[in-house]
Parts: sequence; structure tokens; C-alpha cells
Amino acid sequence: MRRWMTTLAAIAMLALAAAPSRAVGPIVDWDPAYFYFPGATAADQPAGGILRCVGTVSQFGPPLDFLNASMPATEYTFYIDGLTSQGTNSFGPPATTIYTTFYTGGTIAIYADPTPDAAFDPNPPNANVPSTFQDEGQPLLTGNFTSLLVTTNNFTAFQVGNIEGDIQWTGGTLIGLLGPEGQPCPGLFTGGATWNTSPGVGIPGYLFRHDGKIDLQCPTPTKKSTWSRVKGLYK
Amino acid sequence: MSRLATLLLLAACALAAPNPARAQSLLFDYLGFDYESPNLLPGEFGEDGSGYVGLGTVPFLFAPLTGNTALNEYTFVLQGLTATGYMTVGNYRIISYTPGVITIYEDPKAGGTTGDFGSNPPNATAPGTFADGTAILVGTLTDFRFVVDTNNGTGSFEAVFNVTGGTQLANFPLNQRTGWTFSGSSGNALNIPEGYEHQIDGQTFLNAPSKTHRTTWGRLKAGFR
Repeated sequence: MRRWMTTLAAIAMLALAAAPSRAVGPIVDWDPAYFYFPGATAADQPAGGILRCVGTVSQFGPPLDFLNASMPATEYTFYIDGLTSQGTNSFGPPATTIYTTFYTGGTIAIYADPTPDAAFDPNPPNANVPSTFQDEGQPLLTGNFTSLLVTTNNFTAFQVGNIEGDIQWTGGTLIGLLGPEGQPCPGLFTGGATWNTSPGVGIPGYLFRHDGKIDLQCPTPTKKSTWSRVKGLYK
Repeated sequence: MSRLATLLLLAACALAAPNPARAQSLLFDYLGFDYESPNLLPGEFGEDGSGYVGLGTVPFLFAPLTGNTALNEYTFVLQGLTATGYMTVGNYRIISYTPGVITIYEDPKAGGTTGDFGSNPPNATAPGTFADGTAILVGTLTDFRFVVDTNNGTGSFEAVFNVTGGTQLANFPLNQRTGWTFSGSSGNALNIPEGYEHQIDGQTFLNAPSKTHRTTWGRLKAGFR
């Protein structure tokens, strides 16, 4: 009985063993991205309001690392639309209050544009935002947000917080690369956010500057084995 | 003599007086993972006395820093920070730290050592492979504060940044060596190597040069009569 349990434990350990060559970097990194939500503040994002975001991709990682975001001839951009605020909750004493705002819905699309023109013009929406981030042709990737949380506060000296959410990929020309056997792994949209309005950091009319990335949340690979091999390890 | 020295000092202060509405510029972007060392209470983050270490890559450098990312790997190590206390607000912990240092290294891709996180740091490759090559920038971090959701590691940190050393120190005018840094953190990513706490993704900004004010000796003296 004891040997049987040992064998089962060994199988479980093998099944959970991480492959040595796990990708560590993000698939997409950006700098910068700006969120906008007219009428909202870091401490109050009214329920029902829509949060949107435009950004320029600065770097791609595996399995998209064949794309060169530094090449001036092609501009890689993304647009997030339709994140619906569930209202802002606050907690903590007056001097150290933390605000959390959950969002539902929302989509993301990543584009490659052979005619670079993205412009973070102030006070969006406007003539260039989001249009210069939504370029013609089929997007490289599209997805739906399955969650998104904005965390802010009233006490950080430089006005910093976090925006993080989960993405279910739904389409785009490169969706087949996002997981084994063409099944896309979910994406983790994550990074720091600041509502600092200093020139060079914030832009009038935008709510947050976001420094973030998307990671692929692929399950840890497993290794196939046989009963005899597993038993052989413990003989 | 003493009065003259005082006046000179005051003049220097006046010349170096910062302009409150300064613009800022992005200096570098960084990406990596963090861990605690020493880690006095494994399983807990930010306990008093724990050391905070961050390391990873610096994919983008901006003026007055110079670099060649095609030829070199740029890495960073953030260390020397010790947790001095925390406040709990709901699920969040607001952690304060002693001053620390962030260093950016330039290591040739040909013949250099690629940064390797390994597992359970510190280990044979981390922070070692991130702290090799030429230290092009050294900066102190003060007022370092981490706000983190203890349930999932999602949060952010910030600090005041001051350029103090490195081979590119001379690129920074004397009146432009101050700025700030911030980063998001997440414990939700599945790619966090074993033994690391969070992935981190941050930026450091440099304040615009401090403006100077022209004055005369007469005006300066008059201000102190």
C-alpha cells in the first residue's frame, strides 16, 4: 500500500514538473499606453462608464519575437475598448485610502501599421485617438477581457498604482501561435499605472499612463511517461 | 568671513532652487522579477527586516543615457532595501523600506553572460549574471514604498531616484540627477521562476534640469538684512 502511494506521488510530481525552457518574458511589452475615461478620476470611476486605452508596442517576446517593434517602417499599436466600470470602492483610513475598480467586458486588438502615425493627442477621443491606433487590415491579435482591476490610492508620492486583467484571445492573424496545437493560452495584462500629470509623464485628458505587458498564461507542460518507467525510478 | 561664506552658500542655494513645475523625461524602462533576501518569514512579503531585491533586463535607455541594445544586454539590480515596517489596509500591505540602490549594467552579447534568473535566488546565476559587465548607471532609491495585495502580489512600488555613479555619470548635468521610479508588480503570472515573489515592470523618470534664477549681490544681500 505504501509503495503504491509512493508511486502515485511520483506520478504527480512528474506531471507537475516544469519544463526547463519555460519562456520568462512577456509576449508584448509597451511603452507607453494611456487609459482614458472622460469624467473619471483615479479615486472615482463611476459605474457604467467606459474605460479605453491606446498604446504602442515597444517589444515582442516569444512566440511573437519574430516581430521587430523597433523597426521604424512598421508601427505596432493596440486599442482597448468597452471596459465597463462597476464603480470604485474605497477602504482604509482617510490618509491611506486604497481604491479598487473592477471592470467587466472589454476588448483588445493589436495592429501592425506600415504607415506609422500613432499620436497620443490630448483629450481623447479626438481626431487621432483612437483612430491612429486602429489601423486598417486584420489585427494581429484580438481578445476579450475576462477581468480587469484598477488599483489606486491617495497617498503615494508619485501617484502610482496597478492595472491588471485577464484576456481570452479570440482571433487575429497570429492567434495560432499563442498556444500548443493552435489553442491560445490566456493572456495576463499587467503593469504599473500612474495618474501623475507632470509634463512628460501624463497627457491632459488621459486618466492613467500604464507601463505594462502581456504574458501568456500557458499551463505548465507535463511529461509523458509509462508505468514501468515510473516504477523503474523507485526500484 | 563667516558672513561672506553664508552669502555664498545662500547664492548657491538660490541658483540651485528647483522649479516646482518641472517637466520629466523617461530615462529607462525595466522588466524582471523580485525576491526577498534575507527572507525572515518565508511565505510572507514585506516583513520587518526582510531585504528586497529586484533584477532583470533594461530593454530601453533614453537620453542622457546612451547604449546599443543590438550589441549589448542591459540589466538592472535593485538592492540594499530593507523593510522597516508596514501598514495593513484591507488585503493590502503598505511597506516602507530603507534607502537602496539601483544599478544598470552593460554586458556585451558576444562574449558576455546572458542574465539567467534560475530558481530560488540568490543562486549561482542570480543576481550574478545580472550584475556583470560595466555599471553604466548607479542611483540611490529613497522613500521606497511598496503597496501590494497580499492575496495575489498585485501592486506597485515607487521611490525617489538620484543618479550617483556609473560610467555614464558625466552624461548627467549636476542640476539634472534627480527623478523617480515606479513599477507594477504581479504574483499572478505563471512565468514567475520558482523562488521569486513577483514579476515587476517599471520605469524611471528624470526631472528636467533645475532652473536657475539670476540675481545681483545687492538683491541677495538685501534679502537677508
